Amino acid sequence: MANVPWAEVCEKFQAALALSRVELHKNPEKEPYKSKYSARALLEEVKALLGPAPEDEDERPEAEDGPGAGDHALGLPAEVVEPEGPVAQRAVRLAVIEFHLGVNHIDTEELSAGEEHLVKCLRLLRRYRLSHDCISLCIQAQNNLGILWSEREEIETAQAYLESSEALYNQYMKEKLTEQERSKRFEKVYTHNLYYLAQVYQHLEMFEKAAHYCHSTLKRQLEHNAYHPIEWAINAATLSQFYINKLCFMEARHCLSAANVIFGQTGKISATEDTPEAEGEVPELYHQRKGEIARCWIKYCLTLMQNAQLSMQDNIGELDLDKQSELRALRKKELDEEESIRKKAVQFGTGELCDAISAVEEKVSYLRPLDFEEARELFLLGQHYVFEAKEFFQIDGYVTDHIEVVQDHSALFKVLAFFETDMERRCKMHKRRIAMLEPLTVDLNPQYYLLVNRQIQFEIAHAYYDMMDLKVAIADRLRDPDSHIVKKINNLNKSALKYYQLFLDSLRDPNKVFPEHIGEDVLRPAMLAKFRVARLYGKIITADPKKELENLATSLEHYKFIVDYCEKHPEAAQEIEVELELSKEMVSLLPTKMERFRTKMALT
Amino acid sequence: MSGASVKVAVRVRPFNSRETSKESKCIIQMQGNSTSIINPKNPKEAPKSFSFDYSYWSHTSPEDPCFASQNRVYNDIGKEMLLHAFEGYNVCIFAYGQTGAGKSYTMMGKQEESQAGIIPQLCEELFEKINDNCNEEMSYSVEVSYMEIYCERVRDLLNPKNKGNLRVREHPLLGPYVEDLSKLAVTSYTDIADLMDAGNKARTVAATNMNETSSRSHAVFTIVFTQKKHDNETNLSTEKVSKISLVDLAGSERADSTGAKGTRLKEGANINKSLTTLGKVISALAEV
Repeated sequence: MANVPWAEVCEKFQAALALSRVELHKNPEKEPYKSKYSARALLEEVKALLGPAPEDEDERPEAEDGPGAGDHALGLPAEVVEPEGPVAQRAVRLAVIEFHLGVNHIDTEELSAGEEHLVKCLRLLRRYRLSHDCISLCIQAQNNLGILWSEREEIETAQAYLESSEALYNQYMKEKLTEQERSKRFEKVYTHNLYYLAQVYQHLEMFEKAAHYCHSTLKRQLEHNAYHPIEWAINAATLSQFYINKLCFMEARHCLSAANVIFGQTGKISATEDTPEAEGEVPELYHQRKGEIARCWIKYCLTLMQNAQLSMQDNIGELDLDKQSELRALRKKELDEEESIRKKAVQFGTGELCDAISAVEEKVSYLRPLDFEEARELFLLGQHYVFEAKEFFQIDGYVTDHIEVVQDHSALFKVLAFFETDMERRCKMHKRRIAMLEPLTVDLNPQYYLLVNRQIQFEIAHAYYDMMDLKVAIADRLRDPDSHIVKKINNLNKSALKYYQLFLDSLRDPNKVFPEHIGEDVLRPAMLAKFRVARLYGKIITADPKKELENLATSLEHYKFIVDYCEKHPEAAQEIEVELELSKEMVSLLPTKMERFRTKMALT
Repeated sequence: MSGASVKVAVRVRPFNSRETSKESKCIIQMQGNSTSIINPKNPKEAPKSFSFDYSYWSHTSPEDPCFASQNRVYNDIGKEMLLHAFEGYNVCIFAYGQTGAGKSYTMMGKQEESQAGIIPQLCEELFEKINDNCNEEMSYSVEVSYMEIYCERVRDLLNPKNKGNLRVREHPLLGPYVEDLSKLAVTSYTDIADLMDAGNKARTVAATNMNETSSRSHAVFTIVFTQKKHDNETNLSTEKVSKISLVDLAGSERADSTGAKGTRLKEGANINKSLTTLGKVISALAEV
């Protein structure tokens, strides 16, 4: 056997590792890979010093080098073959060098060479795969091959390598003898494995599985104390949004509660090697993340309330008492199933941490609110987080974010109004919405914030419209509606008209001409706006018959526009079926009504 | 404004020395404004054709009558942009393609005779028009900024010593802007040329074994052009401000952030190595 100068080998290897770990931006700007190339040269020298690879390894057929190669061993009882003796030792040492060479080539974008080295590494280790010395290296090599194949956009091959790693880990953990200790680094390798699988499943559009693996990754980070509180918290809060979209509110609440608890740990835990934040940015980042987590909570409250509204509203958007009773009856069943659902879900933390998270969870419902009291609780929580979010997302600096938070606040009021039975109080809620939205239209430059401006104008108009309808309903209940309430109704009508008109005007071109063909993205709102303008003109209360006739004429004009446009553009007809039907009716009824009016006027 | 508000042009460059030495075959053909591509693995297959607003055949040389020169590209694209800017509109041009495809050549070009790209030609004509103006009532001002986006950080190329990362903020009236980005007034084409030169030298260009010069950053050159008209009768002034944005994107083979280890997140089936990207992966899930 060749005499291996062991000291020299170790020295060169350590030097190579040190160079590999040099951060890229520490290299000269024009040679970002300089340290990597130097590391590679040293690794090649070490390889030469170690001598040739053991012969029988090289004779194995190449067919066994694929990702499935490890699998046939998994069906058999685990053969933990320890690498003993000089041949085995050499194989393992060479495998280590091949691994580092493989990663080196991948890091410098030389994928083919990288693949060759990694495959050689696996081949050298094959026999000793499940041994204590080699398992970690084997999994890492397979993980890197998984990453490599995903770069080549062969996602199924990547999946095979990564799932093989996962299986290998599970096999090893099942078979390991109790005296073998689990090294921190080994566990970290497996956490990475789960993370890579999460990404693979995401690319394969297996989203539930991807979320599950992200969830597991987060859980393991907590268990092994390998996390930075701010980063972990925002990741958990972001994951809650996935669950909210899937209407899994219990899981979402768990993620958000955990986020709160862990975020509160900031300052008490020192940064680990996984944390990238630069020194000077930390205080600002803390406040930003706090605001972002608050926004995730707002979405939780809002979506839960809106989901309840959706399941309890009738065909005109009002509360349906029958549906409400049905859901009340369902509630008991939901509570019974709660324990079994909780057991199946991935839970964060044990012991103290678990208790802290539960303490937060207990204050928030995950069930759809069925009445005003339950809705109000969620509303208040959402509003609390609105104020917290606005602390960081101020309008100067974060226009888009600030507005989204205000829009969410308005939406919270709107959905709460659905549960409110008293009409005056409902009016007040819409008034609050208008009060928070109107200032935004004044301050924003329409050139830069066109879309957002339109959204706000439309929403304000609709709020005034709803308020007007409510006041009319209130007036109908009074024996003698006085002039005061009539004035109020007309003012609300005027305001609604103003904002619908502003919205419609925003669609005009620089020469103030209304488009012949309305763009697909604004088609439905534009048609709805026209429809509501028509209806509003028909609802102006006036004692002056001449004025009334004028209003009816304007109303008719707008209904006609809708009918004519939908004839010319059939795709528009599909967007507003209901309103189109009503418009056609009005187009046929109004002229007669107006004629009768004229005759009456002529007679008096 | 005439016609569509977005125009797309495609341009093909001559072979470089590596391609020539490997006796590469040209798989692109152009006819009028359409470009067609042959499948080298299956030459018998019919070529696939695509229509663009402009297809520029620059694979051969100026002797070829079909050759599209720097001048031709500018006359088609640059002149129209300048016209719209004078009308008061904002205009923007992006150059997109792999490293080495010729983006910087088309946008900046070379200092040699008739090899100037769109940007220098546009700036030159801008000042020609300004200087040719005889109307007393009109006055003009031109300001430029030049920034680079590299590894998710914004750098001021006209003030590269400012090592800090410039923040992108939104102002309700001024819209989105880069905080503390230098905006320098220029009064002649030479002023702009000097600034562009200095900025270009400050750009991040790095070499690896795989590419000789690989451009890893996006560069955005912005001209803010203000036209003031003073009406002598009414003594009122009106102002038109237009922004001309000229963007040279980084090599599209690494579309998102470039350079730093483990922070890439491409749209393709790539896997991110470092757990620092867990947040991005989860965000993507939440958006589905």
